[in-house]
Amino acid sequence: MTTSPPSEHDIHAYVDGHLDEPRRSHVERYLARDAERAEEVQAWRQGAQQLRALLAGDLASTAAPAMDPAVIRGRLRERRVRRVAIAAGFVLCLSLGAMGGWMARGMGKGAMEPMADAMQAYRLLAVDHGLGLDISTPNENDLRAWLSGRVGADVRLPDLADAGFRPMGGRLFATDQGPAAMVLYDDGNGHTVSFYVRPPGAARHLLPRGEREDGGLLANYWSSGDHNFAVVALADAAGRAAAQKIISKAI
Amino acid sequence: MSDPHIDDALRTMLPRLRRFALWLARDAHAADDLVQSTMERALAKWNSRRDDESLRAWLFAILYRLFLDGKRRASRYALLLGALGREEEPTWPSAERVAEAHSTLAAFAALPDEQRSLLLWVTVEGLSYQEVAGILGVPIGTVMSRLSRARRALRALGDGTTETPALRLLK
Repeated sequence: MTTSPPSEHDIHAYVDGHLDEPRRSHVERYLARDAERAEEVQAWRQGAQQLRALLAGDLASTAAPAMDPAVIRGRLRERRVRRVAIAAGFVLCLSLGAMGGWMARGMGKGAMEPMADAMQAYRLLAVDHGLGLDISTPNENDLRAWLSGRVGADVRLPDLADAGFRPMGGRLFATDQGPAAMVLYDDGNGHTVSFYVRPPGAARHLLPRGEREDGGLLANYWSSGDHNFAVVALADAAGRAAAQKIISKAI
Repeated sequence: MSDPHIDDALRTMLPRLRRFALWLARDAHAADDLVQSTMERALAKWNSRRDDESLRAWLFAILYRLFLDGKRRASRYALLLGALGREEEPTWPSAERVAEAHSTLAAFAALPDEQRSLLLWVTVEGLSYQEVAGILGVPIGTVMSRLSRARRALRALGDGTTETPALRLLK
């Protein structure tokens, strides 16, 4: 057998009664040789036994209901539900805000669509086939004079006689961008096309050549010189053909 | 393990956790708070528990860490207030009564937190040294040397100084 002193681990294991033979005898033999160490280890053993005996009583105390796992589990669940509710509320607020934003965007867009005013003007008058015009005349010279006096001297009224359209008359509108004029043309078969002109506005919002459809109407628009132009017709085959003819003349 | 089984397993540990918390915090209210927080943490982290880990050691580790965190927070707060060096005496009526009755308990109560925990885990709860090493996050050799220090301190306080610690605790 070895005569080296046992490890710290074995000493503690001996104190705590975890040590099996033969290491237990090894520790005992070592302690038999070292009286001072033996006294210390004996005191450690006593201390441990006393602690065990004295603290055993503390186990008797009954636990408060607030500590019961089932109670705590319920409380945690409540907290989780509350958190989910708060999160859901947050998401709801976000989506309401997003929805509102989306709708506001839609609202704003109406005004932002190019030459929406031209289409509104067409809707107002062309559908009733020219009722409510400021000036009703098929005379292009009269119309030209009327137009240059109100919207601009450089505005050229297209001659659409070749395309089979004759002017019916014109009407002025006040817009945010300035005075606008619409001249209506008619081909004698119930097809009405409008020629609409107005200043680009203070922001000089000039338009690239384009076309769009909205609510059964077709608008072709462009900018030329100091004015924005639009030709509006019904978005059917005849309207398209007519608009095409007019644009080729007007631009 | 279903919820009622988990609850049962935890419930059987409550008295031991309370005893440990009481001797650690040396204040009945603080001990109850500690046990409650430990239960909450245990339920929340149940799924992250390793299966081979003993439930007892796992719970002791949670409680001990919660206690240390709380103490750190309190000392930071004290630092903030400039009240350093004026450590509060524990309000600990029941333990003082027992401490009065026995010099070993008086000595035990006067030990530092870690030594109290060590002795409680090893001698009273019977945790293995390996489990204690896991709780403290130190190698097993370190546990051994700290345990030696704790046992020497307990003996030194218990011997000869039988009256003074009890009187000091009683104030």
